[in-house]
Amino acid sequence: MQPILRARDISKSFGAVRALEKARLTVERGEIHALLGANGCGKSTLCKIIAGTVALDSGEVLIDGEAAALGSPRLAEEQGVALFYQELSLVPQLSLGENIFLGREPRNALGFTDRAAIQCETEALIARVAAVAGTGFTPDARVSDLSPDQRQLAEILKVLARKPKIIIFDEATATLDRRQVEVFFDILRELKAEGVSSIFISHRMDEVFAIADRITVMRNGETVAEFSAAETDRYAVVYAMVGETGAIAASVRDHEPLEGDARLVVDGVRSTRLGPVSFVAKRGEILGLGGLQGQGQKALLSGLFGAEPFHVGRVTLDDVDVTARRPADAIAHRIAYVSGDRGRDSALPGRSILENTAIASLVREKRHVIPGAQFRERFADVLTGLNTRYAGLDAPIGSLSGGNQQKVFISRWLSPAPGLLLLDDPTKGIDLGAKGDFYLLARKLADEGATVIIYSSEDSELLSLCDRVLVLNGGVITADLQGDRLTPFELTRASYGDAA
Amino acid sequence: MNRFADHAKNPLLISSIAILALLVIGELVSPGFARGDQIVRLLTVSAILGIAAAGQNLVILGGREGIDLSIGAVISLGAVIAGNVMNGSNAAIPLAFAAACCAGFLIGVVNGLGVTYLRIPPLVMTLGMMGVIQGGLVVLSRGVPSGNAAPALMAFVSRSAFLGIPGILFVWAAIIALMALVLKRTRFGWSIYAIGSNENAAVLTGLPARRIRVLLYGLAGLFGGFTGVCVIGYTGNSFISVGDQYVLPSVIAVVIGGTSLSGGAGSYTGTALGAIALILLQSVLTTLNLEFWGRQVIFGVTLLLLMLLYGRQARLRV
Amino acid sequence: MSGLGKLGGRAWLVTAAALLVLLMVNAVLQPNFLEPSVIQSNLTTFLPLVLVAIGQTYVILGGDIDLSVGAIVALVNVVTVTVIAALGGEGTAVIVGLLVGMGVGAGSGLVNGLIIAGLRFQPIVTTFATSIVFSGLALWVLPQAGMPVPEPYWRTYAGTILGVPTVYVIYLLAFLLAAFLAARPFMIRLKAVGGLRTAAFQTGLDLGRLRVSAFALSGLYAAFASLCLTGETASGDPLMGQTLAMSAISAVVLGGTALAGGVGGALGSVLGAWVVGMIGSVIFFAGLPFEYQTLVQGLIILAALAGGVLVTRR
Repeated sequence: MQPILRARDISKSFGAVRALEKARLTVERGEIHALLGANGCGKSTLCKIIAGTVALDSGEVLIDGEAAALGSPRLAEEQGVALFYQELSLVPQLSLGENIFLGREPRNALGFTDRAAIQCETEALIARVAAVAGTGFTPDARVSDLSPDQRQLAEILKVLARKPKIIIFDEATATLDRRQVEVFFDILRELKAEGVSSIFISHRMDEVFAIADRITVMRNGETVAEFSAAETDRYAVVYAMVGETGAIAASVRDHEPLEGDARLVVDGVRSTRLGPVSFVAKRGEILGLGGLQGQGQKALLSGLFGAEPFHVGRVTLDDVDVTARRPADAIAHRIAYVSGDRGRDSALPGRSILENTAIASLVREKRHVIPGAQFRERFADVLTGLNTRYAGLDAPIGSLSGGNQQKVFISRWLSPAPGLLLLDDPTKGIDLGAKGDFYLLARKLADEGATVIIYSSEDSELLSLCDRVLVLNGGVITADLQGDRLTPFELTRASYGDAA
Repeated sequence: MNRFADHAKNPLLISSIAILALLVIGELVSPGFARGDQIVRLLTVSAILGIAAAGQNLVILGGREGIDLSIGAVISLGAVIAGNVMNGSNAAIPLAFAAACCAGFLIGVVNGLGVTYLRIPPLVMTLGMMGVIQGGLVVLSRGVPSGNAAPALMAFVSRSAFLGIPGILFVWAAIIALMALVLKRTRFGWSIYAIGSNENAAVLTGLPARRIRVLLYGLAGLFGGFTGVCVIGYTGNSFISVGDQYVLPSVIAVVIGGTSLSGGAGSYTGTALGAIALILLQSVLTTLNLEFWGRQVIFGVTLLLLMLLYGRQARLRV
Repeated sequence: MSGLGKLGGRAWLVTAAALLVLLMVNAVLQPNFLEPSVIQSNLTTFLPLVLVAIGQTYVILGGDIDLSVGAIVALVNVVTVTVIAALGGEGTAVIVGLLVGMGVGAGSGLVNGLIIAGLRFQPIVTTFATSIVFSGLALWVLPQAGMPVPEPYWRTYAGTILGVPTVYVIYLLAFLLAAFLAARPFMIRLKAVGGLRTAAFQTGLDLGRLRVSAFALSGLYAAFASLCLTGETASGDPLMGQTLAMSAISAVVLGGTALAGGVGGALGSVLGAWVVGMIGSVIFFAGLPFEYQTLVQGLIILAALAGGVLVTRR
């Protein structure tokens, strides 16, 4: 039988950057196909070409054995291709129902929008995820009022409503918690039973092996390996992803108990969906924040940084009150914050790498005039020290891959080194090599005397990196795991609460 | 090929070519058009627009759909204040500049506060402010503005100060140099680009984005007030709608000078060249001996053609 | 629930309050304010702005802006009166003139839309440039004000159709067209385009067509406004309607449509236009000079937007 999708010899350049070089992908009817590769390997670009949002330079895409016309997302949709967008394709101002049926609204006999049908069909779709969607996930809820994981679920429903033959899920699980992922996998299996093919992109290896039938691995814009999931193992896949030269992140966890007294004291802090939370942390400690998605971890970090200040409570670092009303307060106390949402919280698009890295130092050092060559060298040294690959300090930030961008953003805070480093899901969507560099950097900073607090949506990251993990549930700390108790089992149990 | 395309997109280059081409066309149509004294006269007119566009440039660079439609009304206000303060007396010129700039700055700060703290869209905030100032001017002056320019101010704008060049051109040159220095070599300049590029990220690096934005609007008002004094120096006496003609041309000068209306990218040097190109275009059209409607149509179409070169928005499908 | 009825935005409360206050002030200043004939005359005065504001709403909902509506009004006016005069001024000439006028309006909007959506131009500067072109063309068609329209034209406008005042018929038709559009998927899609353009594109919407349609509608409604103004002035004027663009934007914003696009509707803009119009009549009847209008209008816009923010913030 014909494969449902066959992409051959796909090449694409963005300016001087070659994103794809004769890439290929073959997907059979009714299979779940994982597409893997380090960030910047071209898998998102390949998917966007198949979905019609990016134009290809050369190559061909066959759907059901026939050459597909992919001039626009609309054309791709007409041929049965739907893409789950990593950055989401929802319009915040419209309701959930309007978003799900946007572009294919049900109409009545007069050609008017059939709002009753939208309502009713949206409710039917919502029912599939109702158990894990949380409150306020209704057809007329405005998308801007939904939480990040609800938006991700909405995007999944929007894709399903299009009843496609081929669905591409690009990082569809990125902000979902484990229960939500399970429900999503159930949906994937139902689709498979109906003969729908799914292309599944994820950085979480557990998920890939839990759900995928076959695996295609890309590296540097080329397709380098194709596996059957049942006949391969993680090692082979990771090896194919990083190539021979790539280093695989090892555990950098310190198993020795830390000496010394608490230097960070968080006392009774509270904000809209957080608290009261109190805890202490030591010098040199990497403290993890665990638990299900959206239980107050991000609120705690942005509160400590003053981005969303606490309403009450007090934070001291080395006996100095560092309760921040705004980020500038925190920065003055050598507190640094790196967000995983680079586009929203970190990148200054269109500006140079130098500006992107140096701006924070100018603020901290209270410089009003940009210094000369030495200043540039300083940042070049920091970036080189982080293994950053970049063309030059004056190149725009957008010319870097996600992982290298994240290195630029963390380099903002490295000269001088921070006393308290807040990491908010910092490795979201970056490749394994850069992740490894990131872990080593966090450990190095901790060893040099910083306190690091990290929230991660990946439990394995917390387990391999942290000395201690605080589990949050409903905005409060429900468990403090360290030493022997810091195991996958305990972390899962604490995340789901005692009932689970 | 790529190299060529990159250069073809360089706004400074395009504006410079446009300026040269317009000079050649002007000279061909009407010999003497590109004579030294004519060029100085055109540059003087450009300087007034250019200084007004400096403020416009700053708020546009600062992003968040920054724009200042009240700049025309502020120019009028500056002219009226300066006229009343000077009333023909040379001694009062510094005071006139100070008063007009202060008034402009305060109005700009109010715009900035509305835009940042009340989150009113800049277009509407400054549109409303424009109405308030225009109305206020009429109410205060009862429609008959008083006051006129001091002789020394008129000389500053239109008579030679050095080598046949009036003082205002030296001032404009200084403003161009200062703006380039501030934007490229100071933290304030980098902060403007940063908040224009991504305000949230800028705040998270510790920049006081709101204060910076308020200051930008304040500076826009200040430049507006300054322009107002120059305008009354050019016209001799003020009338209450004298600034209206600068509102949209100041935006156009910024755009054809290569500053993105979405903020975070561009330069004042480009804007200055854009202002010169705009004034030259109008002047060439005047010499073409066309009827008014024909000049209008050609002017509008030329603006569109200029925008075709680089005033365009990003493609959605790449 | 429909796009017509939804009054999004925070400005809405203050606008409603302003409308109420203006109604009361007007009732005091104009003793016969509530008489049917006075109501009709007021609504006639406000009609052109109402129409332009409805058209502008679509452009703004789609995330663009149209500064050229004033120039389109002038162009439609001079073309219409010239065509009517050229065809002899009889009944058929009037009808052909009206149709040509509407065509010119929609066509001008189409040009705006094609340049902006097709060539990816910035709407503010583009519509400013096209407004210069349209004004130039208007001066070419009719260099000076003059050229009266035939009597049936303005008599019908001031009179009745089937016993209903013509002005009310126009209001009704304008509302019906707006309601028709609001009930179509067009409205949701247009809001999506204005709300988040990349999302709308990725969803497979034909952005270009939607934005061009919005500009064409704006041009068409500007033509309606122009034809109404022509009914009032009964002659051609190449400088007609110059302040309409800014007033219409004020009206749309006062009506709760977000300038950033994606939120709002035509009904709000109608109320916004009434507020702007009522400010004018209060100032007229209070015996103040016309320029007070800009002052009060500016203050009310700022108060509405600032007040709306303060109300929602608590």
